[in-house]
This record gives sequence, structure tokens and C-alpha cells, in this order.
Amino acid sequence: MQIIEEIKNNELISNPSEIQKICLDKLKLNPLPNIKSEYWRLSNKSKFSRFLDHSNKNKESKINLPYKKASENIIRLIIGENNSINLEEENYSIKELREIEVVDFIKKNISNVNPNDHWSDLLNHCLSSKENILGLNISGNKIPPLEIFSASSPDSLNAKTLILFFEKNSKVDLLQINQGNENSSLSQSTYFCLEENTSVNHGVVSYGESKSNLLNSLNVMQKAQSEYSLASLHFKLNYARFEISINQLDGNAKTNIKGIQITKNNDQIATYTQMKFNGPNGFLNQINKSLADGKSHAVFEGSIIVPKIAQKTDASQLSRNILLSRHAKIDTKPQLEIIADDVKCKHGATISQLNEEEIFYMRSRGLTLAEASKLQLSSYIQEIISSIPISKDRWDLLDKILK
Amino acid sequence: MVSENLVKDVVSEPYKYGFVTDIETEKISKGLNEDTIRLISEKKEEPEYLLNFRLNAFRKWQKMEEPNWADLGYKKINYQDIIYYSAPKQKEKISSLDEVDPKLLETFDKLGIPLTEQKKLTNVAVDAVFDSVSIATTFRKELAEHGVIFCSISEAVKDHSNLIEKYLGSVVPANDNYFAALNSAVFSDGSFVYIPKGVKCPMDLSSYFRINSGDSGQFERTLIIAEESSSVSYLEGCTAPMFDTNTLHAAVVELITLDDASIKYSTVQNWYAGNEEGVGGIFNFVTKRGKCLGKRSKISWSQVETGSAITWKYPSCILLGEESVGEFYSVALTNNLQQADTGTKMIHIGPRTKSTIVSKGISAGNSINSYRGLVKMGSKASGSRNYSQCDSMLIGDQAAANTFPYIQSQQPNSEIEHEASTCRISEDQLFYLQSRGIEFEEAVSMMVSGFCRDVFNQLPMEFAAEADKLLALKLEGSVG
Repeated sequence: MQIIEEIKNNELISNPSEIQKICLDKLKLNPLPNIKSEYWRLSNKSKFSRFLDHSNKNKESKINLPYKKASENIIRLIIGENNSINLEEENYSIKELREIEVVDFIKKNISNVNPNDHWSDLLNHCLSSKENILGLNISGNKIPPLEIFSASSPDSLNAKTLILFFEKNSKVDLLQINQGNENSSLSQSTYFCLEENTSVNHGVVSYGESKSNLLNSLNVMQKAQSEYSLASLHFKLNYARFEISINQLDGNAKTNIKGIQITKNNDQIATYTQMKFNGPNGFLNQINKSLADGKSHAVFEGSIIVPKIAQKTDASQLSRNILLSRHAKIDTKPQLEIIADDVKCKHGATISQLNEEEIFYMRSRGLTLAEASKLQLSSYIQEIISSIPISKDRWDLLDKILK
Repeated sequence: MVSENLVKDVVSEPYKYGFVTDIETEKISKGLNEDTIRLISEKKEEPEYLLNFRLNAFRKWQKMEEPNWADLGYKKINYQDIIYYSAPKQKEKISSLDEVDPKLLETFDKLGIPLTEQKKLTNVAVDAVFDSVSIATTFRKELAEHGVIFCSISEAVKDHSNLIEKYLGSVVPANDNYFAALNSAVFSDGSFVYIPKGVKCPMDLSSYFRINSGDSGQFERTLIIAEESSSVSYLEGCTAPMFDTNTLHAAVVELITLDDASIKYSTVQNWYAGNEEGVGGIFNFVTKRGKCLGKRSKISWSQVETGSAITWKYPSCILLGEESVGEFYSVALTNNLQQADTGTKMIHIGPRTKSTIVSKGISAGNSINSYRGLVKMGSKASGSRNYSQCDSMLIGDQAAANTFPYIQSQQPNSEIEHEASTCRISEDQLFYLQSRGIEFEEAVSMMVSGFCRDVFNQLPMEFAAEADKLLALKLEGSVG
């Protein structure tokens, strides 16, 4: 764990900025990961340390765009590739945040976070340089679809940060793609601030090459009357951790989360979500799916926190998992922590294999076992990825996964 | 909201078992070290292997850290400020119940425990444990006719040493966890049950634990062995007097079932819970575990948890034998400043094993009621199934209900289902019942009783009545 050693010995950054200094101090006090911390996250330390084995060379990341830009209408941004943007159109505007705004925002955020829960954000801010932080202020309700790419470069660890402010009454479809290169680690931290009455339809697709590691952290702050929908897909990653933290600041907001993680070979992909309701009338509908094959390990841990103030919250969480191999492993831990009494909260979890009866039915109609299994898997995956804001003719995700 | 306050009033019922029996006791001095353990072992005239078991556990305990993962807020326990052995003074050997101190009999009489001859008609054999010592076991002769051994663990050490040596610590090893290690080092008494091959135990067995002394901890150990094709239903009840100090209760229960055997273990736990400000009460840190060793064997835990300031308890099943079955049915009611962190572990190792978990938590006042459970499918548990259901009911907006299920699977050919929900006694429901002429108090009681029905149905007759009464007691009284 080269990075951890470097943090301990003050060798990580030669000339740290103010934020980097604060984060470094916090990381030093909290020298994660250790066996115990990972055990409680149902994860394992040796797999996590793969992520930290690279040095932070801050090499130029190289991105292989997975598909062509389908139309000129789409706004495509790549974090770290100095493509400055400043659009002021009739129905919308997208403006880059000033450096001071970015610094203030990060400082405010890290000052009172729990270093245990936001360890990956602290690491991200330590490592990401100015060029690798993209901050945007978005407003308007006729915004063209946005695509934001983030990638790591081979044999190194890269850190990228994305900060988006959504102004009042804005409405946007946004696709975020995290791409891992061979033998590399990517630390991606994302912050969304949704003002009142905004609607964000967010898709996250993360995939890599051989030995790609990803630490993906997503923090969403929602004001009243906002609606946030997330659909995520993580696959082909040697080690990945997706940490979602959503806070309905004043309640009265809607959150939909759909996610799927597909693990093969010796992969480990983990999703941790924390949903906080800090006001009444909040709504959450969450479904997380895992598909584990080979000797892989899939983890889901979701917690829903409903304090006294969050009366009339309606939250449901479902974890559905399919084990495809005898050597694969799935751990799931949906949690409820409730104090408010007038709430509707429920969760469910299942772990099983492909449905034999359905397979039998299809085979009796002349499909081979392989075809029937593939068809069943497609429908299992399709339920999630159909919500990712990208059309099939732009990028056929299902085809990419099933290959 | 008027009705909400009324509901709160209804659940606060004073503790009626809080009296202290003024009886001469023999206590050893406070503190814990190897000499204490040697002294306990000497007093009980134990063989050397048991002393070594205790010392080994003590050495391991010294190296362990008190667990803090359950986030239970309590003052650090000073383990040197506890008396580890306290027993009512009595004649050396008791040959009949007539020789038991009448004050003790009176105590158990007050608690409704049938120790005296005239109460024996209830057909439940009882082992009564007072502080550190088992004072009487009823129906022993009748049970012996069927080959059933039911006695205190101290007697079993003397009379059935081979069984104790073979099975003690085989389910919960001495170094299993902090409190189990402490218990292994200092356990004073408890019950021992052995059901021979092919015997269906002719009556329900029961042990009743009573803490009387305020400064002594209670560390009892229960061991139940069901041989091939045998079955037994075992009941356990607990109470304690009201003290301003916290008393530690760290028990270990081990169950073993061989081929086709079954054990049904039911608990009604009503230790003193502390007062409304959270002063006093029992710290109930208990390790209960059953091992389904044999094929088609079955272990069923049912519990009604209403007492204790803090409950930390996870009755578990290790399903080793093919087609073995584990069950867990639980009702936990917390009020005022009580904290309960309870649940189960179902560890499926053998093929085609099945487990069912039904947990109902009711939290009122400022209490915290958590379900924490583990379901694990090992790689050889092909064709196994689990179903879990955890429901919480909240009374008032100050109480917390948490659910922490851990679900782990390494076997594709197995199925796990888990569901949880949270609800409250709604005004609509109350209004409906009241409009049908049902008193408010009864309506609340009916709704809570209906909420717990799945669990109460699993309790043996004798206990179902007691559990119903207990919940009713906590739910009735202040209104009407």
C-alpha cells in the first residue's frame, strides 16, 4: 500500500495546497484501511490494498471513448482535459465554477465529515490536482444531455473530482462514465447540489480493463421539491467500491436509486449507500442488484436513516442478488435506523440462482440452456440499465456486458 | 396528539418482581483474578479439567477487548467491583424440598414458580437458580424413570462428568467472545439436561433464574444434549430486584442435537430494566448457541424480551447436519431508556438445511431496539433455504428501531429471503377499534398482541400465557 506509506511519511505531496493539507492531516489520524475496518464493510483488506498499490504519478490519463458522439447536441466533457466550458444559451446555461468557489465548497464539505465514512473523498482531495477538478454551475430546463468522462492512465493512480451545482428549476439528463485503464486505479469523487425544484436523471457507468481498480464516491445534497434519480452499472473491474451518500436536507424530496454490479473471475465490487432524511415527507425507492460469477465477491450495504424530524418518510430498499458460481460470494446488508414513528419503511433482500422454472419453460419452447440463461440474465440486467440515460443506438450497454 | 400520549402511558407499567429477599448469603470478596477462579472451583469441588477450562478461559479473557460494535451506550463496567460468587447459606446437602430455606421457597412462590409440592401438579419440572446457586430441581425422580437427566450443572459435574467433559464448551468455545470467556472463567451454576436416545421428554423442563444480590454478577451456564431421535421443550425465566446499580448477567447456553433430535428453547426474560431515568437495571450479555450436529435435527429458539437495561443477545444455530432445521422467534419490547440489540445467527453448513427467523421489535419511550442477525450459506449448503422477517413497531417519536441484517451466501443453489418493515399503532386503527366499543387500552393491547402473534404461537402453552400476561402488564394499567 504505497499510498498509505507515503501519507504516513509525509512523502505524498511535496507542496500541498490548503485543502490537501487538511485532508492529509485527517488521513494521518485515521490510517485506514485496516483488517477490522474492511471486515465491517464485508470487504477484505488485501483486495482493497490493490487499489492503493499504485503511486500517484498524476500522469496524463488516456481515454478511449467507447462510442462516437451521436449528435452535436450532446455536451461531452472529459475531466482533466482542460476543456473549459462556458455556455449561456436562451434556455440554459452551463458555467465553470471559479477556483475560489471550488476551494470553498470542498473546504466546507470536509470540515465536518466523518473521516471514517468519507475516507475515499479525503484521499481524493489529497491526490487530485487543480486540473483534475471540474466544477460546473448548471441551470435551465432545456439542457442538452451531458456526458462526463473520467479515466485513469495505465500503471498509476489518478484522482478526479466533479462538482455540479444545479440551480433552481433546472432539469437535466447526465451520464457519467468512469473508465479504468490497464493496471490502474481511479479515485472519483462527485458532488451534486440540487437546489429546489430541480430534477436530475443521473447515469453512472464504470468499467475497466484488466486489473482496473476504482474508488467511486458520490455525494448528493437535495433541497426540497427536488428529484434525483440514479442508475448505475459497475462491471469489469478488478476491485471497485461505489459509495453513495444522499442527504435530503429539508425532506420533501424524491430519490430513486437503481444499481447493478457484475463481478467475474476474482473481482470484488461493493456498493455502499447511505440515505439520510433530514426533513419530513421524504421518498426513496432503491433497488440494488448483484450478479456474481467465477471466484468473485459482490457486496451491498445500504443504510436508511430516519431521524425524529423525518415524519411521513416513505422509503423502500430492495437488494436482489444472483450467484452464478459455486466459488462466488455475495454479502448484503440492508439496514434501517428509524426514530420517527409515522413512517413507511421497508427493505428486502434475496440471494438465489437463476430461476429453474423459467429456464425449464424456455427450454421446453426450444431454447438451448445457454440461450435461456442469457435471456434471463438480460432481463435481470435490463431492469436497471434501461434507466441509464443513454439510448441503445448510442451505446449498447447490454451487448457490451453480455459479451 | 392525545392518543399518542395515552399509548405511552399504557406501556409504562411498574416492575412487580423488584423485591429483595432478605436471606443470609455466602459471598466471596469482590474482584477477579486467578485466585477467585480457583476459589470458585474449590467451593464447587470441581475436577481438574474444569479448573483448567476456567483458567484457560480467564487467560484468554484478559487478552480480549470488550466489544463496542453494537453502539450500546453504557458506563464502563468495572470487573473488579463485582462479586463472582454468592449463594444462599443452607445445609450441606438437600435431600428434600422441605429442607430448603422457607424464605427461598416464599420468594419463588411470589414469582409464581411451582417449587412446592402442592404446585407440582402443573407438570413442569423446574430448576430454580438463586444468585449463583441452583437451590432445587423438581420432578427428578419421575424424569429419571425415563432416563432423562435434569439437574444443576454443579451436580452434573459430579455425577455425569464424562458428558460435561465431552460437551462443555463444544458449542460456545471459551474464547468465543468477551462475555462468553468471562462466563467460562467464573460460571457458578446453571442447568444440565440430557435426553437419552429415543426419549421424548415426558414434561416441559424449566429453569428459573433469580438475581437477589445487588453487587454480585450472575454467570450461569446451561447445557442441553438431545441424543438421537429424542426431543425436549425447555423454558427459561428470569427476574431480579430493583437496585440503583447495574448488575451484570453474562450467561452461556449450549444446545446439541444429534440425528432426528429436537430442542425447543423458550425464554421469557424479565430482568429489572432500570427506572424511568435509566438508573439501575440488569446488563444482560448472553451467548446462546445451538449446534444441529445430526441429520434432520432441529433447534428452535423462541424468546420474549421485556426486561434488562441492556440486552445483547443472539441465540444462534449452527446447521451442520443434513436437512437440519433452525428457527428463531422473538419479541423484544423496550421502554424508557432500555436498549436491546438482539437477533440471531443462522449458519448453514450442511446441505438442504432450513432456517426461519421471525423477529418483532416494539420500541417505546426513549429506548433503542435493534435487530441484528446473520444468515450465512456455506459453500456446501446446497439446497438450503432461509426466510427472515423483521418487523418493528414504534410507539412515540423518541424511540429508535434499527434493523441490521447481515446476509452472506457462497452457495448458488440456495435461497435467502429477508424482509423488514416498520409501522406504528395508527390513529385510524385505534379509532376503528374504539368505534366498535373496545376500550382504548384493550385496543392497544390487541394490536400489539396481533403484531406479536407469529411469535406467541410458537411458545409452549405455559409460556404463551405468561408472555401474554407480561406484555399485557406492560401495556395495561395506567389508563381507564
